[in-house]
Amino acid sequence: MSARSYLWLFLPALALLLLFILAPAADLLRASMFDPDFTTEHFARLVTRGVYIDVMLRTIRVSLIVAVCCTIIGYPIAYFINLQPRSRQTILLFLILIPMWMSILIRTFAWIVVLGRDGLLNEALAAVGLIDEPVRMLFTSGAVLAAMVQILLPIQILTCYAAMTEIDFDLIRAARVLGAKPRQALMRVFLPLSLDGTITGLVIVFMLSMGFFITPALLGGRQDTMIANLIEFQVQRLNWSFAAALGLVLLLLTIVMIVLLRGLGRMAARRILKAGL
Amino acid sequence: MNLMKASLGLRIYFWVVVAYMIFPVLIVIPVSFSSSEFLRFPPQDISARWYMAYFNDPVWISATVTSFRVAVLSTLISTTVGTMAALAISRAPHRSQTPLTYAATVPILIPHIFIALGVLILALRLGLTDSEITLALAHAAVAMPFVVLITSAAIRQIDPTIERAARVLGADPFRAFRVATLPPLIPAIVAAAIFAFFVSFDELIIAQFLMKGSETLPMRIWADLRLDISPVVAAVSGLLIVVTTLAMMIAEILRRRTVRTLAP
Repeated sequence: MSARSYLWLFLPALALLLLFILAPAADLLRASMFDPDFTTEHFARLVTRGVYIDVMLRTIRVSLIVAVCCTIIGYPIAYFINLQPRSRQTILLFLILIPMWMSILIRTFAWIVVLGRDGLLNEALAAVGLIDEPVRMLFTSGAVLAAMVQILLPIQILTCYAAMTEIDFDLIRAARVLGAKPRQALMRVFLPLSLDGTITGLVIVFMLSMGFFITPALLGGRQDTMIANLIEFQVQRLNWSFAAALGLVLLLLTIVMIVLLRGLGRMAARRILKAGL
Repeated sequence: MNLMKASLGLRIYFWVVVAYMIFPVLIVIPVSFSSSEFLRFPPQDISARWYMAYFNDPVWISATVTSFRVAVLSTLISTTVGTMAALAISRAPHRSQTPLTYAATVPILIPHIFIALGVLILALRLGLTDSEITLALAHAAVAMPFVVLITSAAIRQIDPTIERAARVLGADPFRAFRVATLPPLIPAIVAAAIFAFFVSFDELIIAQFLMKGSETLPMRIWADLRLDISPVVAAVSGLLIVVTTLAMMIAEILRRRTVRTLAP
């Protein structure tokens, strides 16, 4: 094949992207501002009603909590896998990959089985005599967080792991030879080198959380509504224009937060590098 | 403390977290074999009652068949288009490779609900809602980035001089590609197809917005979970958990094999 033929090969992908990503996004923008004449009414409604502001803030807050939890829980896991011999790493990665590819709907359903009134946890707690009556665990913010962290954790682990495999372990050995204590070598050599990948993972998890829909709808209560749930509600009521405005705000908030998180992450990374913890 | 060896504490921590990730999913399987009307653990007795209910219910079966049909069509599209795009990226001049990769993988970054809403609003105007083909194409757009990423990783391992050698020896461009480049890529392409299949098969929101007349399996599960949770969902979940696990293991093995056999 000639060097130029690569453009032809890319054409079908481009068509798919244009028709199913770009054109719908453009039409969304149109729908949010023309109803049928130009109007900013839908965006105005979004920023003037307290309920919608609450939902937006909650979506950001929940996504931040989930991203931070996944990072704190996942980082040592990735580190542990990295310490294992190659052949064992493959097997351990399987344990992370299999739940990652399981349907989110099924994984959320599994939490209903665990946390329900007659669910596993209530039965177990009753069996050991810790509780007399079933505790209400479903339809709480805690249930949503526990499930979202569980669903997104594999992604953060794999991102951290990929970043860590790039690290030359000889550098850590060198630090040790030069007199660094194990903890020092870990904190001043290994951690800074893996920081960039970890921040990338945090941002990816945050971004995916922002669009979460199934888990808050099934495991949360009214107090756990996120932007995506609001969009579905508006679509059911055929309020296309308002739903479109919500969709754009979701995308915008996600992009702004990503830029912010990346910037903050870089700043923190530089500070850690300088101070050496 | 030796940095190259995991401490006992870290080892225990690892297995606790793995249990947290896997246990809730595994627990669905014993629950699905209960005969009781309610989801209960531990199950009072073992029966395949809800599995029978699933297989004998035309609503569930037709939802499964619809999902399967859409997923197969979507997989064919996304795998072909994605593999072509990955080849295009590998052949592009060096400075264009990164922007092309970004372009081809951008759907990963966009919330599904945003894509779903956009596709719905556009399809409404064009009268293309409630069509399995529209749905399959939308799913293909969402799955394509995964195909591009997986096949790109495999293409990078291939020595381009072999295809050039085939050309020098007189093969036309297509034949040179078919003989030299394609065969070692097959495992990665199959792996990518398996991932793409499940992206479509498990997708809820786009289908939920787009389809009115017919129902996909995730839509059926969703409707069931929202109204009253019947144990049939547990049986369906049990089946899906087993099938997904097996398929993903095959896909992972294939993906790893490409990388290993092609690595210099």
